[in-house]
Formats: sequence, C-alpha cells, structure tokens
Amino acid sequence: MVAIYYVMIVSALYFVILMFSFRNIKDIFRRATYSKYNTLSGSELVPSVSLLVPAYNEELTIAENVRCLMTLNYPTYEVIVINDGSSDETLKVLIEEYGLTLLPNPEIRGNISTNKVRGIYYNPQYPQLYLIDKENGGKADSLNAGINLSRYPLISSIDADSLLEKDALIRMARMYMENPEETVAIGGDVRIANGCVIENGEVKDVSLPRRMWPMFQSIEYLKAFLGGRIGWSHFNGLIIVSGAFGLFRKDYVIAVGGYRGGYPGEDMNIIIKLHRYMLENKIKYRVSFCPEAVCWTQAPDSYNILSNQRKRWGRGNLKNMIENRDMVFNPKYKVMGLLTMPYNVIFEALNPYFRITGLLALLGYVLLDMTNWHVLVVFGLVNFLSGYLLSVGALILEEIAFRRYTKLSDLVKMLLFSALKFVGYHQLGVLWRVQGHIQYLQNNNSWGTMTRQSWKDKNEAA
Amino acid sequence: MSQSATLQRVQAVDFYGRVEEEVREHPNGTALLFLYCAGNPSGTEAELAEVQSFVNQLTGVNGEVLHDANTGVSAVTLPGYTLDAAHYQALLLKQHLQGRFEQADPRITLAALTEAPPRQTLKQMSETARLSTSSDIHIFTQEEADSGQNRILIVDQDATVREFLQIRLAMQGYETLEAVDGLEALELIPKWEPDLVLTELNLHGIDGLPFIHHIQQLDVKEPPKIVVLTEKRVEQTISQCFQNGVDDYVTKPFSPVELDARIRRCLH
Repeated sequence: MVAIYYVMIVSALYFVILMFSFRNIKDIFRRATYSKYNTLSGSELVPSVSLLVPAYNEELTIAENVRCLMTLNYPTYEVIVINDGSSDETLKVLIEEYGLTLLPNPEIRGNISTNKVRGIYYNPQYPQLYLIDKENGGKADSLNAGINLSRYPLISSIDADSLLEKDALIRMARMYMENPEETVAIGGDVRIANGCVIENGEVKDVSLPRRMWPMFQSIEYLKAFLGGRIGWSHFNGLIIVSGAFGLFRKDYVIAVGGYRGGYPGEDMNIIIKLHRYMLENKIKYRVSFCPEAVCWTQAPDSYNILSNQRKRWGRGNLKNMIENRDMVFNPKYKVMGLLTMPYNVIFEALNPYFRITGLLALLGYVLLDMTNWHVLVVFGLVNFLSGYLLSVGALILEEIAFRRYTKLSDLVKMLLFSALKFVGYHQLGVLWRVQGHIQYLQNNNSWGTMTRQSWKDKNEAA
Repeated sequence: MSQSATLQRVQAVDFYGRVEEEVREHPNGTALLFLYCAGNPSGTEAELAEVQSFVNQLTGVNGEVLHDANTGVSAVTLPGYTLDAAHYQALLLKQHLQGRFEQADPRITLAALTEAPPRQTLKQMSETARLSTSSDIHIFTQEEADSGQNRILIVDQDATVREFLQIRLAMQGYETLEAVDGLEALELIPKWEPDLVLTELNLHGIDGLPFIHHIQQLDVKEPPKIVVLTEKRVEQTISQCFQNGVDDYVTKPFSPVELDARIRRCLH
C-alpha cells in the first residue's frame, strides 16, 4: 500500500513541478527570441567570465572543445584549460595546436589549496587562453586550480567533452545581469550531441542519436532539464547545476571553500554548499536555471560506460545527502530544507528501495492471491500514463520554446522512446542506483572509466 | 568620315587607343557608351551593322562605332550629346537591338566626357558593361572611376549584414565578395587578392584576432587592408586589434556614410 501512495505522491510532485515549468516557458521563449544578444555580446557592461575546463585524458575531444570556446560571442572572457595530470597526450595536443609556451612567472591570485601545479602555458597570440598543467587530483581539484588562476569575477565550469552554442554564455550573462546582486549560480541546458553533425567546434546540424542508449538519455535529459529544472528554479529549489555547463560567482565559491575534492558529485555539492552558506548568513540569493543557454555533450553510448556513470551519480548523490542530512526537514533552510532536500532523499536517493519493496509486496499479494487483477492493470496503466505524460510535457515545452529538433521523424522517434523508456531502461536506472549505493558502502571511490570518442568519429559512428 | 571602313580597321588597331583618340577629337564633349551584347546568335557582324545603322540615322551626329574583337565589347561615341540625351539614345538603341534580334540581351555602360579619360578607366567601363548583371543602362560616374574597382571581401556570419554591405559597396563601385566565416575568408584571400577585408570579429571556426593574424601571415603580393566592423565595443579588444595592424575599427550599429568614408580613406 505504501508503494502505491509513494508512486502517487511522486507523480503529483512531478506534475506540480512540470506545471511551474509551463508557467515559465512563455517568458523564457520571449526572452530567448527577442533579446538582442548580438548587441549585448559586444557591450563593455557585460561582466567578464573565466571559463574553467578540467581535462583528464581528453586528447580526442579537447582541441575541438577549445576551438569552440575560443569563438564564443562574448565581450571579455578567458579560457583556462586544466590538464589534470593526464596520462595521454592532452597537454601536447593543446601546446601544439596553439603554440603555447611555459609562462616563466605566472601570477596566481587565489589560494585554495590544490595539488601541485607544474606549469602554466600561454601564447600572446591567443590572449584569452591559458593552460594549467597540474598533478592528478580529480575534477574538483582541477576546478580549484582554475579558480586560483582566474582573473574575472564570474567563473564557468565546462566539461571537456561538451560544446557550447555560440550564444550560450551571453544568454547566461544576460540572466545574471538581471539580478547580479542575488544570483550566485546559473545552470545551463545540457543536451546530447550524439548524432549531431559537428564542424569547427560547433554543432552544425541537430538530430537525434541513432543508438539506443544515447537516445534514452536524450529523452531523460530533456525531461530533467526542461520539465524539472525550470520548475525547481521557479521557487529557488535547484539542488544541482550541471557540471557540464554552469556559471558561478567566484567570490561565493571561494567563500564556501571552493569545490570539494575526493568524491564524485562535486557539481551538486557546490550548490548545496552555496545554499547552506547563503541561508546561514541570511543573504538573499538565487540559484537560477537558464534553459536557453545550450551546451551539447557527448553521452556514453555503451551499456558499460553508462552504468558506470550512473553508479557514480548514485554514489555522489548518496554521499551529498548523508553529508548534509542536517538540512533535511530543517525549517532554517527554507525551501531547501523543507522541500528540495527531503525530495531528493525520499524520491531520488531512496527511490529504488521503495520500488523494490513495492514490487516484492506486489509479488506477495499475487502469490497469496489477494489481488484483484483489475486493480492491478488499472494501477499499472495509470502509472505508465502519468510517466508518459511527464515526458510528453517536456517535449511540448521543447516544441514551444526551443525547437532544436526540426525534423518530424525526430519528434515521432522521441515520442516512441519516451514510451519504451518504461520497459527496461527505468528498471536499469533503479538497479544502477542501488549498485552505486553498494559501492558507496564498500568505500569504492573511483571515478570509473569514461572513454571518449573524437567528435569526428562520433559523427560517423552515431 | 567613312563609317563602313571602321569595321575593318578596328581589328588591327589598339581598341582603347582608338576610343581615346575618338574622344579627344571632340573637345566640346561627347557621350561614350560601351555595349556588350550577350546571347546574340546572329553574330557580331550583324549586330555591329545594326548599331552602325542606328548611329547613322541620328541626324547631325558624327558617331563612331568601334569594336573590340577580344572581349566582344563595342564602343559608341555620340559627340555633342549630354548625359540625359545620350541616355535616351542608349535606351532607343537597346530597344532597337532587342527588336532586331530576339534573344539579344544588350548591356550598356554610359558616360558623358569632356576630356579623354585614362586608359584604365576606359577598360573599367568596358568591363562594367561586359560583367554587368542587370539589363539597366549603367551610368558610369566620376566616383566610380576614382574607386578603380577596388576589391572588398566582406566577412560576416549575418546574411542580412552581408547583403546590405554588398549592395552598398557595389553601388560605390567596389567589387565585392562575401565569406561567411574566417576559414572561408582565409581560403578566398590568396585566390581573389582583395584590396580590403571588411570583417566582423565574432566569427565561426576561427576567432577575430587570430583571423587577422592569419591574414597578415598569408603569402600574397600586397597584404589587404583590414577594416573591422563589429559588435564588440570593449576598449581592450579595440586596442588589441590596432596593435595587430588593423587599419580601422567601426562598431555596430554603424553609420554607412561613415563606413564609406573610412573605407575610402583606407584605400587612398
């Protein structure tokens, strides 16, 4: 019985969130369509940004990624690539591509402690590009090293396997400029690039992935970002800004001690820390989501890599929840403590266990012949339909405001996969999360393998 | 004047020299028009005969018809004609030719002259007639002659901006070509050798500053002048551009008149 109530509450909550997303979509559409980003992207009044790109064994994608970042529509910014002690040619690829040389006397401003920095590379011909070479210490450690070198008041973390749209950063900056005092972090919309045509560091032709795993993730991301995060940001309850693309105020990131190393989930962790800091110091603040700023990322396209990624997420999520358990149901932390954190603990972290117990109970009932199969079928259908409706809702949001996928066949494919998701993929998601939790209990703390494909191979393969 | 003899003579004699001479013979001013008849299946002989007969029927005019066998362009002088009168006659001539030859598509460039222009200008006029894309009669102005058909490469990712600039600069008599991004432009410059590159800094593929740097590294006889026309108004960027040897920097939204003036100053 509990399981049924649980499912009902989850669905209701999702629908409320989706409703808020719908409420905001008109504004988003209008500001995305009518803002004069071109004029803005040349203005001196736009705050300058340091882009931080941690790279660990990214020799295949890094050149394309940096080429993309060097041609953003943005008045003043710098690109700081942090080579996290890669064992491959990442460092060499960049040094050769941009003719970088070791800076004899680099000026490092910040003082967050990081692993040893071996050197900083620079070429006056590309004045906005810096390359930090440091000893391996993880993604958070790399970001901290980047913060130490950065010159500008805003920082933006970008994954080395992602590509930004040319206007993405200026769109985020526009949102920041609306409320520069209160905004501490802004998240961008992350989409799956598998299947898209990529040329000269930019997405030329958008289409859906041809393989199954990236396709499921495409739908999943769309649902999470458009259906979920727009709604959550409406009442300032965002718990995560995607590590693939986010903008932060440097002073507050430094105030909370920078990124936490040694564990995955550093992107969620920094946001929780920011919430905690601002609420404890009673400073008005906002964590926003900017769906019109789009970042295209490479999704894992095989079962192994995907399951590794999801186990890592499960592990990171659990760790963050346990670390911050005092915030749960603590009225001191307002929306965060009363809504976001409980939601994440009950409906995200503990989700698998409810589902499994529910399933076991159901099995029990069936075996004891206590069930009425009518009720079962109806319940199953309602469950499926509500889930499907949520996905379709996200698709409608996409069609109202963004229309990145222009082909009709793509739309049909998305509708189909939204339904197929409930057979197998969802169940796997539950399994991976449980495995992640087991890893956490076993103290397994590895990042797992994440093999990359060069963007060029990707076009052919996907 | 034996007009029928002209036809045989031109072959041997330098075409532009003859035109120049013809203009010099009329110190009181003459109208000069260049005619290029594309798509004429009846052959040049028939066409020239028609032009000749047209000139002959004009009363009190000692018009000359000269033909350049190399390019297929004919030159017609109409001594004593003012620009508007000559324009009217040119219209009649066009109509006449179209009436006689069904598929004829005459292109005409016209100017009123008081003294013989430099040979370069004559060549330019003849080229204008030959390469003209419109069947309207093109009036060749002093300004156009001064511009000497400088070549300008327009680099901007915005199609509207490119089109506007292309039309405006073409009206000023510049020869223009468009490129969408820096990489395309870098391919075009050595092939086409423009005198000036008018570029945006926000480009796809390669960023503005490295792009400018690459232009200067290109192996061309005369490196093109570079004028930046951009949204970027950040002073640091502007100063970096000038340090990199940019000739001028104009920010959008821009005044077309000011842009014209700045381009003209760069080229002369």
